[in-house]
Amino acid sequence: MKELFPAKQVIGFAFSLLLTVIALAVYFLDMSFQTGMTILLVTAFVQAGVQLTVFMHAGETDDRGAIYLNVYYGLIIALVTIFGTLLAMVWDM
Amino acid sequence: MKIDHSLPLEYSTDQNQYNILGFWIFLGAEIMLFATLFATYFTLFNRTGSGPSGAEIFEITPVLIETLLLLTSSFTIGLGVHAMRLGNKKAMLTFFSITLLLGLAFLGVEIYEFVHYVHIGAGIQTSAFTSILLTTLGTHGAHVTLGLFWGLFIILQVKKRGLTPQTANKSFIFSLYWHFLDVVWIFIFSFIYLKGMM
Repeated sequence: MKELFPAKQVIGFAFSLLLTVIALAVYFLDMSFQTGMTILLVTAFVQAGVQLTVFMHAGETDDRGAIYLNVYYGLIIALVTIFGTLLAMVWDM
Repeated sequence: MKIDHSLPLEYSTDQNQYNILGFWIFLGAEIMLFATLFATYFTLFNRTGSGPSGAEIFEITPVLIETLLLLTSSFTIGLGVHAMRLGNKKAMLTFFSITLLLGLAFLGVEIYEFVHYVHIGAGIQTSAFTSILLTTLGTHGAHVTLGLFWGLFIILQVKKRGLTPQTANKSFIFSLYWHFLDVVWIFIFSFIYLKGMM
């Protein structure tokens, strides 16, 4: 039974629960918008990293270079899309 | 077909490795798809017209339940893949089934949430905000719905054919998809719900 619950994944799960609790601080505690957004950005991206490495096994096999390159490519396009839109449509620059 | 026994079953043939890499490329495209939805959401979230704002309609309890359900399901399918690598078909199918049940529960809460929104006058046609909100949540929910059917067929196939390089490969790729949905949810949870209620 014990072999079915590898330590790495159990710890990964506990850590992702912890990140969720930390993110909840922005709801339950009073803080400025900047502080709140910083907390959310950190917890969300760390959480995504945990999923990627612990649960999706990225980086365990020989195709890790191609996998990471592809994820970074997707991420760069995503960030350019989001921040480009914010610049043009929201921040009026 | 050359089978390399030094690798996990889902990686054991060349075809399997290409399938997994191909699926990662698909997930890269999915990241971009959701990025366009988030970009649109950030543009439109305060254009509420005469409808309600996010802070007025978001409730922490259902959101928290959804988050815990999806996080746990991501954990259980990870255990499923681990059991698959141990060659324990029974445990793998149990974990995959638990995953789908958690996914179903998630979908149940989300449908309740949507009905609630429509009920309090925040339907998809109410304002630019409600329309992009429900489109973003709905696109994620549609992915989960598709995943439920996909996962069900994976379970049936593993049951029928056992653990072969092909079925292990399909199961692993399905697990990637499921984890990805959890990642997308984390961003929805953080930048739509928590940011909206902050």
